Amino acid sequence: MGVIHGEEMVLNIGPQHPSTHGVLRLKVKTDGEVVSDIYPVIGYLHRSFEKHCENVTYEQVVPYTDRCDYIASMNNNLGYAVTVEELMGIEVPEKVEYIRIIVAEFNRIASHLLALGTYGLDVGAFTPFLYMFRDRERILDMFEMVCGARLLYNYIWVGGVSHDLPKGFVETAYQFLDYFEPQVTEYNNLLTYNKIFVERTADVGVLPPDVAINYGVTGPNLRASGVKWDIRKDEPYSIYDKFDFDVPVGQGELGTIGDCWDRYWVRMREIEESVKILRQALKGLPKDGDVHQAIPKKIRPPKGSIYKRTESPRGDLAYYITSDGKPKPYRLKMRSPAFTSLSVLNKISKGWMLSDVIAILGSLDIVLGEIDR
Amino acid sequence: MTVDLLYDWLNETIPFLSGNDLLLLFAILIPALMLFLVIAVNAIVLVYAERKVSAFMQDRVGPMGQGVGLHAGKWGMLQTIADALKLISKEDIIPKLADRKLFIMAPFIIFVGAFIAVIALPFGESLIVADMNIGIFYILAVSSFGVIGLILAGWSSNNKWSLYGGMRSAAQIISYEIPAGLSLVTVIMLTGTLSMQGIIQYQSGGIFDWIVFSSPFSFIAFIIYFIAGIAETNRTPFDIPEAESELVGGFHTEYSGMRWSFFFLSEYANMLVVNGVAVTAFLGGWQSPISGYFNTAGWGIFWFISKILVLVFVMMWVRWTFPRLRVDQLMDICWKYLLPIALMNIFGVGLWTLIFG
Amino acid sequence: MTRYFQNIWETITTLLTGFGITWVHMMKIKKNNVTLQYPEEKWPRPERNIGFNHDDYNVIRSRLTVDINDCIGCLKCMRACPVGCIHIDTVKADVRGEDIQEVGHVGITSNGSKKAMVVTRFDIDMTECCYCNLCTFPCPEECIFMTGGPNADRHHIDYEFSEYDRSDLIYRFAKKGTQEKMTEIKAPKEPKVKA
Repeated sequence: MGVIHGEEMVLNIGPQHPSTHGVLRLKVKTDGEVVSDIYPVIGYLHRSFEKHCENVTYEQVVPYTDRCDYIASMNNNLGYAVTVEELMGIEVPEKVEYIRIIVAEFNRIASHLLALGTYGLDVGAFTPFLYMFRDRERILDMFEMVCGARLLYNYIWVGGVSHDLPKGFVETAYQFLDYFEPQVTEYNNLLTYNKIFVERTADVGVLPPDVAINYGVTGPNLRASGVKWDIRKDEPYSIYDKFDFDVPVGQGELGTIGDCWDRYWVRMREIEESVKILRQALKGLPKDGDVHQAIPKKIRPPKGSIYKRTESPRGDLAYYITSDGKPKPYRLKMRSPAFTSLSVLNKISKGWMLSDVIAILGSLDIVLGEIDR
Repeated sequence: MTVDLLYDWLNETIPFLSGNDLLLLFAILIPALMLFLVIAVNAIVLVYAERKVSAFMQDRVGPMGQGVGLHAGKWGMLQTIADALKLISKEDIIPKLADRKLFIMAPFIIFVGAFIAVIALPFGESLIVADMNIGIFYILAVSSFGVIGLILAGWSSNNKWSLYGGMRSAAQIISYEIPAGLSLVTVIMLTGTLSMQGIIQYQSGGIFDWIVFSSPFSFIAFIIYFIAGIAETNRTPFDIPEAESELVGGFHTEYSGMRWSFFFLSEYANMLVVNGVAVTAFLGGWQSPISGYFNTAGWGIFWFISKILVLVFVMMWVRWTFPRLRVDQLMDICWKYLLPIALMNIFGVGLWTLIFG
Repeated sequence: MTRYFQNIWETITTLLTGFGITWVHMMKIKKNNVTLQYPEEKWPRPERNIGFNHDDYNVIRSRLTVDINDCIGCLKCMRACPVGCIHIDTVKADVRGEDIQEVGHVGITSNGSKKAMVVTRFDIDMTECCYCNLCTFPCPEECIFMTGGPNADRHHIDYEFSEYDRSDLIYRFAKKGTQEKMTEIKAPKEPKVKA
């Protein structure tokens, strides 16, 4: 006697749903609880970022990059600034480089805290989410000190940063790091090693390294599959080559390499590495220097094009800019890491249950603002 | 306060109506109204407690009333009442494609399921609406009555999320009846009675006469019953029927306003029942923990309620600490862990009573 | 079989650890509490001092404000705005740096520059503003700023400026009636220019 199959049901998750991390719509084909096919529908947050950029000057693109990956705006600003600088051949003062690294790494921590916290929420743990948001809020406070904004910073400009670091920032940053490091242990005790959490995530949604590479998955999702690839290390931009830090990779400690728990764990480890980088950067931060010194009066890159990638908290963030020598970019294309991460969802979540699909989607840490652009 | 006692008392105090059927109706209605009041007050208090406990665990302060104008009183004590007022005044939405009759009926069936279980709870030595000789069996039997309501709610909403919620809750609650029942069997083996008052009288004396401390096996039985109880009340980590991050709202996705609040009323009433049974069967019911002291009728109510509240607090503590399980893991825990342990436990308690009892 | 008991043991220990953490947090709520009762308590606004010429430059980004008496109508902020929420119209003044009494035009800014333009319209649509702060940097007279900026002594931080009507969020900074008055003043002179 064969297995009895009922009729398959198409379940429509989103665009308004508590755990699609934005306005993502998933058409899920289910047989009871078991999911047989997923079809993500995107575009609900499309704001035509790339076309928009063709109509504004290079300076004015920066606030638009903020709004792509709104969780990690500093890293988006940094990627854009680094790209245009390379196109124009601008040398940036050392102080600016240090400030950029500091804010970018702080933003990486904030972004990972959000990713881990909402992941806890996806699997039903409410309390770790609030603890992580409490600490993220302190980072946002520091950003408010630096540039006056809490979410969309427009801080890193081509050739410099908008404001110098305020007096007392370094002390506040050290205070935060001292406070923050023990908190990581607490998160681990409360959520990471919790048996229920491990049961929900370990061995679930395994992303093998070859599949990850074929789909172009980058960032923590790729590293969780055991591939040691970090642009900060392998293709250093800014002054990342000056710092000493490890690239955590998934080892399958509680399950298989590349499962949801590994993706979670790699992010948790990256927070610790970011803290390491921050301590070195705060130590090496030059006292003097004008942050506006290298900002060009008029940004008119020479004719040509450039493709430059940077490591955003979600992975390989790249900008492709074609310049025709005018103050507005001729063409600007953004390679968004969350988009490639989402594309692998169908591949890795077939055959899992509905609850697992939510867990897998959460572990990929997508931001719809960046996918739709 | 059984119905019979009340009937006799009414017959004596109102002589001109004595023997009239009207008095019997009164004797039934008065305890029913009181129980409804108990359930309503219980829900109001527990919702407030839940919000405060969760807030304190998450470094927040929860509902607070400060400032001018309409506000929620000192420390937000009027918050639940404000919530209730809001729920009552909300629009009553019934989806166009819903099965109208079943949709309206479902919340009440769930509430009735919780309500008829409360009547067998012994709040004090004589304060029990129906002192049946099969009390604990009765509660086990009727407490799964609410499942019908859940399935009806899930089905009649004509919503896929609700359907999932309904199906999940049916599987869950029916499975967890078994370990709960088996762990209560150990109590029945020790006490030799099914009557709620009989079980409590067996545990008279101090804290060490309570069944939970009488042997290691009965302690395990208590833990199993408590876990199963959490599952039966649909609370985290077993809240998969209403898992808000997966199923939006589960079986109550389409409900709003007063109908929705009935789900909550019965959820908290269910907590009262489950913990009431746990207190009765394992923690000495209305008996004082210190032998011979504070054992009057008034103290009895105090002990019973405070023991329930302690267990309710543990339930809240669990809810705000742990993530949620998956459907198959939920079944795993029930059938592969709780059930074998509960069965071994019965054997253990038997041996224990044979050797030490 | 060992796996079975190991599972039970792991469950018990890790869950008890979790219990401990939330318990400690609940007991220390007085110390740990992070909630502010908003209308009564407010976040301290970040006070800071950065490397500009201003002694106390508060960078918090809030409501855009214009000191119209200092505006010389150079249109730099309008060009810097990435969303185009600033609209400025200007009319050439007859004499550079002279007051025009009829429209309340002040000829000389507080920095001492003489104005060549009369600003007849200076509208900022705050519903479109993206708070990027790009308009405040190019201003030569520092007359456009986020409140609490370089002119914090004159304009305090204001971040509670919600309105009931969208049109109330279009801020009109130019003095009322400037447009009409200027056309009146200009009208008789026009034939002279043509001739």
